[in-house]
Amino acid sequence: MRQTPPSGSHPATRPRIGAGTSSLTGALVLLALLAFYPAAFPSFMTLGVTIVLFAAMATAWDVLGGWTGQLSLGHAVFVGIGAYAMALLVLRNGAAPWWGAMVGVGASVAVAAMWGGVTFRLRGPYFALASIAVAEMTRIVANNWARLTGGAEGISLPGLPRFLGLDLFSRQVEFYMALVLLSLALVVAWWLQRSRFGYHLQAIREDEDAAMALGINPTRDKVWAFLASAALTSLGGSLYGIFLGFFEPRGMFSLDLSVQLALMAYIGGAGTLFGPLIGAGLLVGGSEVLRIYFPGKSLFVYGVLIILVVLFAPDGLSTAVRRARRA
Amino acid sequence: MVQFVQIVVNGVFTGGVYAIIGIGLSLIFGVMRIVNFAHGVFLVVGMFTTLFFFERLHVDPFLVIPLVMVVGGLLGVVLERFLLEPIARAPEHASILMTVGIGLVLSNVLLFAFGDAPQIINTRYSTSTWHLGPITFSTALTIAFVLTVVVIGGLALILERTDLGRSVRAAAQNADAAELQGINTRRVRSLVFGIGFALAALAGALLLPQLFAHPSIGPTYTLKAFVVTVLGGMGNVAGAIGGGLLLGVTESLGAAYVSSSYRDAFGLAAFLLVLLLRPAGLFGRSRT
Repeated sequence: MRQTPPSGSHPATRPRIGAGTSSLTGALVLLALLAFYPAAFPSFMTLGVTIVLFAAMATAWDVLGGWTGQLSLGHAVFVGIGAYAMALLVLRNGAAPWWGAMVGVGASVAVAAMWGGVTFRLRGPYFALASIAVAEMTRIVANNWARLTGGAEGISLPGLPRFLGLDLFSRQVEFYMALVLLSLALVVAWWLQRSRFGYHLQAIREDEDAAMALGINPTRDKVWAFLASAALTSLGGSLYGIFLGFFEPRGMFSLDLSVQLALMAYIGGAGTLFGPLIGAGLLVGGSEVLRIYFPGKSLFVYGVLIILVVLFAPDGLSTAVRRARRA
Repeated sequence: MVQFVQIVVNGVFTGGVYAIIGIGLSLIFGVMRIVNFAHGVFLVVGMFTTLFFFERLHVDPFLVIPLVMVVGGLLGVVLERFLLEPIARAPEHASILMTVGIGLVLSNVLLFAFGDAPQIINTRYSTSTWHLGPITFSTALTIAFVLTVVVIGGLALILERTDLGRSVRAAAQNADAAELQGINTRRVRSLVFGIGFALAALAGALLLPQLFAHPSIGPTYTLKAFVVTVLGGMGNVAGAIGGGLLLGVTESLGAAYVSSSYRDAFGLAAFLLVLLLRPAGLFGRSRT
């Protein structure tokens, strides 16, 4: 006989629904603590911004990937759109970056509406495969459409106008902007945990046919989730562009970036409020430590961790910890 | 016209190698119901194994192919045994994440071991060609194509004529029924994953004489493998041959007549179209 898989990997045993106000209190405490990070670790600001920004984008990814159960490996498209919309409007029109970020959100939402409308009839691995194909095609176009994007040479940002008197290139300012975005993403996730719409999404994740039988329109709800996820990720992309100052299509639209966001959410716990945040902290921190010993960017930690998580904590670390505490 | 034939010929030759990659992915999907996101990295492992033998032992890359395939096969069996078997009954996304993780670890190990610089090997036939009328053939690609045909033929014989092949096909059709007939489907799964890895490694060795090898090119070939299998039908081994040739010719024609910088995009566009236009016909098996 075959062995049963380790612990409750069946979706029906996942924690959900009605985790209630305690999680809201937890989120507020956590965000308040994070607000002291710049004062506590002034010399690790780049690391701090990276963690909070990726936590925000992973939480945004989770709206579609975790709560709705549609595994996207193409979210870098929205990061890229956000970054390029912001940068190109700054460079071409001299527009302030926040206007560019808004344009980026609009463009991302439009792209997500088309993308979702066309590919949401695909299920399981086929949706994931299609998302890679869409993202790779976008990357190839961005790389070759040099007149729009500057092509493979990349673009660098000139000086930016001040935002409410704040220097956008200062790591402190970037940190707090990322923190605001993270709060926004957490509010959305918290709302999904307890709202009717959130229940719809979770029902679709557990069994799409059963959800349909209950009168839920899966395609419509999945598209709405995708739009929210895309808009938040796009804002993260604009901020990421400012943070980097210089970028190229190969990095901004890369499959690695999409995979990173998905793995952060899964390692921490997809479809949980804090899972993506925990995953981002662990993975960004982990690869930073590794980079000290092995120069050169490395996703080695991501690979090892996801293997361990799939084997030993299939619902993510935050769920495993909660289960261990309860037991 | 001559130019057109030339381009199609090049496409068919490259397509043969794509078919090998696709057959492995398709076999794995058919028997294990796993979409292997590490498949392209397996190909890169084959490339670097060949490179290692070539540089250390100074053996011709085509002569070490059996060795490279054995290394790949063993790695595949080990990975299946320790990382995929334990999650055989887990939900679908677990195997996707697991193979993504395996791919990341393997490609980063290659990066640590061989460095970040693109590598190339020079054999005496890397640039040599032969002619048939007005058509020019690259010697390296020709050898690769002949080997491809031999290997695919051999694999087809094994699958069709031997007990081993019959148990593989039985496990693909219905694992529980195969188990009731006394087939050790657990062993079949290990074997199939080993064969898939060995085939991908073979494709890597075959492509090496004409490509730069770099640890990061895996995902490109994973995508190509997906394209091939989706064109041919997931789990359909014979279809993968057609899919491979179709992808090779599409890329080659697109690169020649439209734009070479969009080479990789043509296959992806074809992939999306097939995925969307024939979702039920060719690909309606996702809810098993």
